[in-house]
Amino acid sequence: MRRRDFLKIVGATGAAATALPGCSSRKPQSLIPYVIPHEEIIPGRSVWYSSVCRECPAGCGIRARVREGRVTKVEGNPEHPINMGGLCARGQASVQGLYSPDRLQTPLRKNSSGQWIATSWDEALGIMVAGLSGVRDAGAAPHITWLSNGGSGSLNVLIDEWLSGLGSNRRFRYEPFDNASLRMASMLAFGRDEIPSFILGSATVVVSFGADFLETWLSPVHQAVEWSTHRGTGDRRSITIVAGPRLSATAASADRFFVAKPEDLPCLALTVLEMLLQSKKSSGLATAERARVESIARKCRSQVPAREGTALADSAREICIALAGATHSIVMPGDSTCDGAGGTMTAFLSLLINYVCGNVGSTLLYQSARRSSRYDEMLDLQQRMNAGEVPALLINDANPVYAMPDGIAFAKAMRHVPIVIGFGTCTDETLEEASLVFPTHSPLEAWGDVEPFDGVHGLQQPAIMPLYGTRHLGDILLETGRRMNLGFGSPQDTYHEYLKDRWTEIHAKSQAGMPFDQFWSQALWKGGSWERLTAAHVSLKEGLELPAVPAEAEKGSSALSLMVYPHVGMYDGRGANKPWLHELPDPITRLVWGTVAEISTEDAVRLGIANGDILKVSSQFGSVEVPAQVTRGIHAGIIALPLGGGHTNYGRTATGVGVNVSRLLNSTPSSEMSGGVSWSGTQVDVSVTGRKTQLASLQGSVLQYGREIFQTKGQPDPARLPEVERETAPLYAGQEYKGHRWGMVIDLDRCTGCGACVTACYAENNIPVVGRDEVRRGRSMTWIRIDRYEGDGDGPASGFLPMLCQQCGNAPCETVCPVYAAYHTEEGLNGQVYNRCIGTRYCANNCPYKVRRFNWFDHTVEEPLNWQLNPDVTVRTKGVMEKCTFCVQRIVEARHRAKAAQQPVSDGDVLTACQQTCPSKAIVFGDLNDPKSEVVRLRRTEGSRAYRVLEEVNTDPAIVYMKRKWNGKNRKT
Amino acid sequence: MRGRDTFRAPPPGPRQPLAFSHRIHAGQNQIACQYCHAGVRSSTAAGIPSLQRCIGCHTLVAATKPEIVRLRAFYDTKSQVRWIRLNDIPDFVHFNHRPHVARGFACQKCHGMVQTMDELQPPFRLASMSWCVECHRENGGSVDCYTCHR
Repeated sequence: MRRRDFLKIVGATGAAATALPGCSSRKPQSLIPYVIPHEEIIPGRSVWYSSVCRECPAGCGIRARVREGRVTKVEGNPEHPINMGGLCARGQASVQGLYSPDRLQTPLRKNSSGQWIATSWDEALGIMVAGLSGVRDAGAAPHITWLSNGGSGSLNVLIDEWLSGLGSNRRFRYEPFDNASLRMASMLAFGRDEIPSFILGSATVVVSFGADFLETWLSPVHQAVEWSTHRGTGDRRSITIVAGPRLSATAASADRFFVAKPEDLPCLALTVLEMLLQSKKSSGLATAERARVESIARKCRSQVPAREGTALADSAREICIALAGATHSIVMPGDSTCDGAGGTMTAFLSLLINYVCGNVGSTLLYQSARRSSRYDEMLDLQQRMNAGEVPALLINDANPVYAMPDGIAFAKAMRHVPIVIGFGTCTDETLEEASLVFPTHSPLEAWGDVEPFDGVHGLQQPAIMPLYGTRHLGDILLETGRRMNLGFGSPQDTYHEYLKDRWTEIHAKSQAGMPFDQFWSQALWKGGSWERLTAAHVSLKEGLELPAVPAEAEKGSSALSLMVYPHVGMYDGRGANKPWLHELPDPITRLVWGTVAEISTEDAVRLGIANGDILKVSSQFGSVEVPAQVTRGIHAGIIALPLGGGHTNYGRTATGVGVNVSRLLNSTPSSEMSGGVSWSGTQVDVSVTGRKTQLASLQGSVLQYGREIFQTKGQPDPARLPEVERETAPLYAGQEYKGHRWGMVIDLDRCTGCGACVTACYAENNIPVVGRDEVRRGRSMTWIRIDRYEGDGDGPASGFLPMLCQQCGNAPCETVCPVYAAYHTEEGLNGQVYNRCIGTRYCANNCPYKVRRFNWFDHTVEEPLNWQLNPDVTVRTKGVMEKCTFCVQRIVEARHRAKAAQQPVSDGDVLTACQQTCPSKAIVFGDLNDPKSEVVRLRRTEGSRAYRVLEEVNTDPAIVYMKRKWNGKNRKT
Repeated sequence: MRGRDTFRAPPPGPRQPLAFSHRIHAGQNQIACQYCHAGVRSSTAAGIPSLQRCIGCHTLVAATKPEIVRLRAFYDTKSQVRWIRLNDIPDFVHFNHRPHVARGFACQKCHGMVQTMDELQPPFRLASMSWCVECHRENGGSVDCYTCHR
């Protein structure tokens, strides 16, 4: 009997009893046509709608892909001036916020025993109007208070109008990471109470004092897009210098990383300033200006504690030399990570350095008056609530109970407010304290706009019909405003019309030279309206006042200095309800699902701590228990904890995962005039509990053991393993590729490790989220992972290497598959046919890159998160192997499109999901057989940097990596 | 070789929510398939015509016949018509109508003699991959697995 016949018989007898692998039996069996078809919906075809991402205040433009009326993916809008096509992991995951199973669906009110009761819209609106009218009749309307996030745009204007209609102007905008010290420093230096923007696109020297500008700080995608224009193949390679307490992804991407305590940063910045004043660089300043800066520097010297040793001066010299040699440079102070330890002084000195270097007005611009409330204003609100002075509090999209250091006290204060009304898409710790909650549209269902910079207006349009009986916050305001006679138009007016009205003003201001209707539809098409940015002119303030520098705290023997920073996926906690972001590993620790404390090797040895030991971290304000991760690249004496975990009431995904580290922080505002939270500098006692946990890691080791997986150009060759003899005679005849041969170039000099590609891949390819326990067992399903490797000796401190299926020419996986499920396509892909696969896992065992993933289970996706699934990609079932396909569904689609247009598939027609979203454009995909393609051009022009991973095993991968460029060194201050 | 056409006898067509007859529309009245299944020209899916498409003709044509009155009721009340699905392929097969129609293949090649059927029967030809592969081989279509499975 031949093998084929045998399989046929097995198949025939088995088919009756068991379902085929990959064959779902839960298919709907009825077909329901539209009664009246939507003009834009053709079943089976995607439509894209331009909109705006609302996951953080940066205001990136997005395009939402809609199939049969459902949003299946969002991507960065290539035309938008902020993100130019890039989108971070949080933006990619915004679609999971839309389909969250924890969405609020009806208005809720609390009954007398504190339980939530679903209620009708009419009743809920009635309660709201009656309550607020009662407050107004009692003459307490001026104290009605509105608390929102720091967002911009028309909705904010409407809230202001609505409040002032009631007779109140008490408006609070809460952003946990508000960059308070940078704002204060701006006020002190230039008299401008706002956050400047940093234009990295023209800077060839980029200096960061603790600012994670490629991950979370200010507008990370915008900054990464601009920063990358001088990296890799870009013209005029920039020098990036980061000084900070912790090796962040930004620090790992820098050319020089100086590990420095936050307390040392003021001294470092001041030394740089002094050196610059002595150099030729300051000759651009007028003599009087220079004398003023010199006198400020002298005054600062008396305030800033001096540091002993030469390391700091050496680092300062290096920064100074770099800055002095550059025409355009930029210095960024990251106070969210350094505030509380002299952050305001660091920010102030950074602004002065920028001033001396002539950056103010060129790379540092004041172009947005958007500002959030200061933290001390929030405390003032808390006090007023406690004193019973707030008759009504209305809250949307802000979660101070979670993120404020003493959020519990804020929650208690809220209980003194008779009327607390919340608006949101799902419940959270703050809305839980309300007495009435209105469910609002998710941003993908709603109209809106944002204005990240003056003159840049992003227009947000609904990409999907509202899933539930939710309403737009703007519509609720208009409706209640009419019921309370606040002077809002006719009953037919909706927020959509209000928004359009506001845009007539934008239209009037613009020089578009077209009628409004055309302007509006063009804005809908493009995603907004933007013109040349104008920046305010600033100069040094007269009569300068200096920021205070707090005294360094006394340290006990087991005391460490706490540093709280925003998590790359969770940000300030608002990402925690999205499963993809939990499964996205931290770029440095490579850990998923939960909060981990990073400590230095020195402290680990001193305190007897190993990876996975559960530590009790206690400050005088609170304590948490959290597993430890020992990391190189964090300053001794510092314990770093990300904010974002430990929710108590934020839906099923977030609640109970990790710990809330803001509870360790001092609730008194920092003593540095900024009035902000002291994110750094709190002294904590660390003790080992004796318990241990297995960390859920995606990477076994960050060391390379001489295998040269991550390579750098410009560093002396490290000690090599004995040369591996290369197999030159292939076992199988080589394949000829007559048409396309797909390949990729990944530039390690551009990769920042941000993880946007990972989440984009989850969204595009229906990759299941497996959870912490399965990751511990090594069963993560991710198709692309960003491995981090540490340099040994004189290389970059750390570097990132995106690892995905290498689509080998001589693929080890293909030859071992007994059923031809892993096979080689005519276009050079390593195909994986799910319905052929019988799950031997031989292929995964034989893969040297460890990129194949086996489905140990049928991973069910909870309703309605499954509405996001991409219909062009099979949902895999238990027992089959899967891996990166180079987004073959996009290749096929491009081929069909080209065929219909009777043209060949040309370069740029196919963008893989990872390539499309990458803010720093590290990934290029294309046809290796097309001499004009970008991949071929890069391989030719950047040949000296090109290498392939594990080339010596002769797998002939289709992915070429470009070596990270390196010309620096690392030093501790 | 085993006769492909005897692989599985077509079961009688199920009773659909409306007694729509392909024989009358496509056979007797010679209405082109693409008039109702317009998606084939531009999309992967052929699409089931919207009720508006039906009513477009039946406002005038045969408007008083009992089944059309029922159709009208569905339309006026904006109710769902739940057609029983007959043309089905497994989820791991990604078929695209557009290139097949563009190449000029008759719908009947895969869907059978639809224009002769009052009650539509499941097209037995879609039950086996060899049907697809043999046609692809005969007509120079790709037989790469990724063409359909991905």
